[in-house]
Amino acid sequence: MLDEHTLDLINADIDGELTPEESQELDATLEVSEEARAMRSELLRLSNLLDNQPAMQPPSDLSTKIMQQLLPQASKTRFSLAGWFSSFQPATAGVAFAAGLLATISFYELSQPGNTGLDTAGMVGTMVANPEGLSGEQTDIFSIAEKGVTGTVSLQTGNDYFTLEFDLDSDDPIEIEVDFAEAGLGFGGIAHAVIGTEETDQSYEVAGGALRVVNQGRQAFTVFLRRVAENGNAGREINVVVSSGGAPVVTGALRG
Amino acid sequence: MNSNDRDQALIKRCKQGDREALEKLVGLYQKPVYNAAYRILGNPDDAADTTQVVFMKAFEHLDKYDPRYRFFSWIYRIAINEAINLFKRGKNQQPLDDSEVAGTRGPDASVEAGDLSREIQGGLMKLTEDYRTVVVLRHFSECSYRQISEILEIPEKTVKSRLYSARQIMKEMLQSRGVY
Repeated sequence: MLDEHTLDLINADIDGELTPEESQELDATLEVSEEARAMRSELLRLSNLLDNQPAMQPPSDLSTKIMQQLLPQASKTRFSLAGWFSSFQPATAGVAFAAGLLATISFYELSQPGNTGLDTAGMVGTMVANPEGLSGEQTDIFSIAEKGVTGTVSLQTGNDYFTLEFDLDSDDPIEIEVDFAEAGLGFGGIAHAVIGTEETDQSYEVAGGALRVVNQGRQAFTVFLRRVAENGNAGREINVVVSSGGAPVVTGALRG
Repeated sequence: MNSNDRDQALIKRCKQGDREALEKLVGLYQKPVYNAAYRILGNPDDAADTTQVVFMKAFEHLDKYDPRYRFFSWIYRIAINEAINLFKRGKNQQPLDDSEVAGTRGPDASVEAGDLSREIQGGLMKLTEDYRTVVVLRHFSECSYRQISEILEIPEKTVKSRLYSARQIMKEMLQSRGVY
């Protein structure tokens, strides 16, 4: 009957987990013990049998099913979080998240820089898109069809908020500047979703009453703006400038 | 870039909503997850269902993933837990029929080559869940002791103890059935 230590050495040897010292010790034991050699041979055979079992092929449609589950809105290229935003209260945001907004797989990230006037402590993490929840009304839109930059920018207007929805495709990095302060609006957050499978890159900053987004590739993103002053400029006009290489490509104004 | 760096980069992109990164992660891990689930459950349909649940849970809780640990350990842990849970639920409802997984062969009968896989799977299914899990991770998922320890969150010493005992049981079981 082999002792436990020898069995341990044999097993570890089969798994390639012996130290050089242990390996020497096992060699010495194997040299003098026929029982140890027989045990090693049997366990090695079992190990080889297990190791050489062919891998099972998953069903051919498994990855498709997984992706369909993960991206229930995969076929949609546009989204809006406006419905959620209209009911957003920072103090209850955590509860809302816990209640289920985060219970579903999500790929739309909501975030905000720290230098905004809005207390958005609860607006971190990820959340589901809510295309059915849009309660605002589209009040303005303009299309961009310039060389290297195409897409649309639309403005949705709700009771207490505005959402700017960008759907852009650019060959090179473009800078998008959204001037909202003069319209009596404050920055509420930004949500973005990658469309398709192309490589994209995006960064943003908020300063001086304007949002600057650097974007490349095909992306949709929504900028949330909330009413912070009773009276803004005429018609709450939000100016949008899209630049490439430092030069303006298109300038537009959206009225809410 | 090693596989862990690659995974971390993909996860970062996933968190930013990058669908391509998500597809890559699914492509990388669906087969290993499916295989681990199949070996624990012994049923391809259950393995496929489990694999779907694993990815749902993994990406649902991606914000809880700690990047100090390897992604594969994390997703394997979810896979093992899901498979074991499903197995326990199924075992309570439907006792395992020996003949379905390992035939009814006696010790003197020889094993046809085509039956070998079924015999091995049958042997696995007779192990306790703890033992089966370490055998699956070691021999079918090719994990080291350290990786198994990380996945199951148990000491390496326990990994060794379970693995060695499981192999001894399987060896005797398969020998008694004339498998080798």
